[in-house]
Amino acid sequence: MAPAAKKGTGDAGARDAEAALARSMEGYLAGQIDAFDALYAALAGRLRGYLLSLCRDASTADDLVQETFVQIHRSRRTYEPGRPVTPWAFAIARHVYLMHRRASSRRHRFEESLAMGASETDGARGAADTLADRDDVRRALAGVPPDQRQAVLLHHVEGYSFAEIAARAGVRVNAAKTRAFRGLKRMRALLARSDRS
Amino acid sequence: MSAPDLRDRIARDLKPARPLPPPSRRALVLLPVAVAIVVGVPLVNAFRGDMAVIGFLRAWGFSIGQAAAGLTIIAVALRESIPGRSLPRVALAGVLLAGIAIPAGVLLLTASRFDIGPSAGVAFPEGLACFRVSALAALPSLGLAGLLAARALPLRPVAAGSLYGLGSGLTADAGLRLYCDYTTPGHILFSHIGAVAAMLVVGAALAWGIERVRRR
Repeated sequence: MAPAAKKGTGDAGARDAEAALARSMEGYLAGQIDAFDALYAALAGRLRGYLLSLCRDASTADDLVQETFVQIHRSRRTYEPGRPVTPWAFAIARHVYLMHRRASSRRHRFEESLAMGASETDGARGAADTLADRDDVRRALAGVPPDQRQAVLLHHVEGYSFAEIAARAGVRVNAAKTRAFRGLKRMRALLARSDRS
Repeated sequence: MSAPDLRDRIARDLKPARPLPPPSRRALVLLPVAVAIVVGVPLVNAFRGDMAVIGFLRAWGFSIGQAAAGLTIIAVALRESIPGRSLPRVALAGVLLAGIAIPAGVLLLTASRFDIGPSAGVAFPEGLACFRVSALAALPSLGLAGLLAARALPLRPVAAGSLYGLGSGLTADAGLRLYCDYTTPGHILFSHIGAVAAMLVVGAALAWGIERVRRR
């Protein structure tokens, strides 16, 4: 086949694929789960490749693909019927990646500040005391119910927002906030008890 | 979360969803507000003294044109709030600069002299009064545009907020120019262009605040 004809076929193929995506998106907006499956099948691989090129870590890219589809689901009303689906989905994927990067850098800063705090404490009180404190924190954390522990760790250590934690746990945002609050409160009580003893 | 988990979660939550109307149609929601501002500001305060001198077209025509430009910029802000439809950075900067320049351009096209201003002793209070009227008149359309933008998914909230702040400021200034007949550069720069620029900043801050609340 001549190159021009090949290019024409390629363009037509891309147009057909985009039209099929738009049909799936419209079905998805109408509430059809099959349409979501078709959308996932068509986009997941490409989104994974794109996210992998941004984050350069396969397992993070897999998580971000899932997160992108959650975000696509939440903002599916913003898709304008008749317009191409791909730029819309990729813009959401990029947003998810940027949010992830922001959360990671926040987590990194938190860990650095923890490390600095630990080294200062080490100088002042000695390594044995610091290790004992860490053990106390670990024990207190273990004494918190699992759902509250997860909320505390995800928000205060991993740096996830409550909306993200709620999405992961499949609960409302207020429930995620309450879990983290109650978890911290319980940890404080357990630490105070271990201080007294 | 694995793919089957994701599918189960989506299936549990899946309901028909009506897509948002196109940005231009959503911006039309603000048309009654814009009309109320353009007509209301001079009605509540007073019409400028030289309305008869500058003529109907130069008075109302340019104000209507400026308000239409404001609404168009709000439509651009609503477009910016849709994933995949963001403006390129250069175009965004161009729209913002052009929007800020509109009040000066309208003045250059409509004023015959540029020395009509408040007397020396009251220049600041009168300038502040114009600034306040402009800012207060912009607030309803700013709030409404903020809500409309937040219903979509602004991936660059500060850019979207700057745009709808600018659009709201321009619409309010379109009404203000039917009331204020001062043409001195200092007054125009501070009270008119300054108020429009201030609304741009307020819009950006509002959008940033809404995004922070949404993320919690």
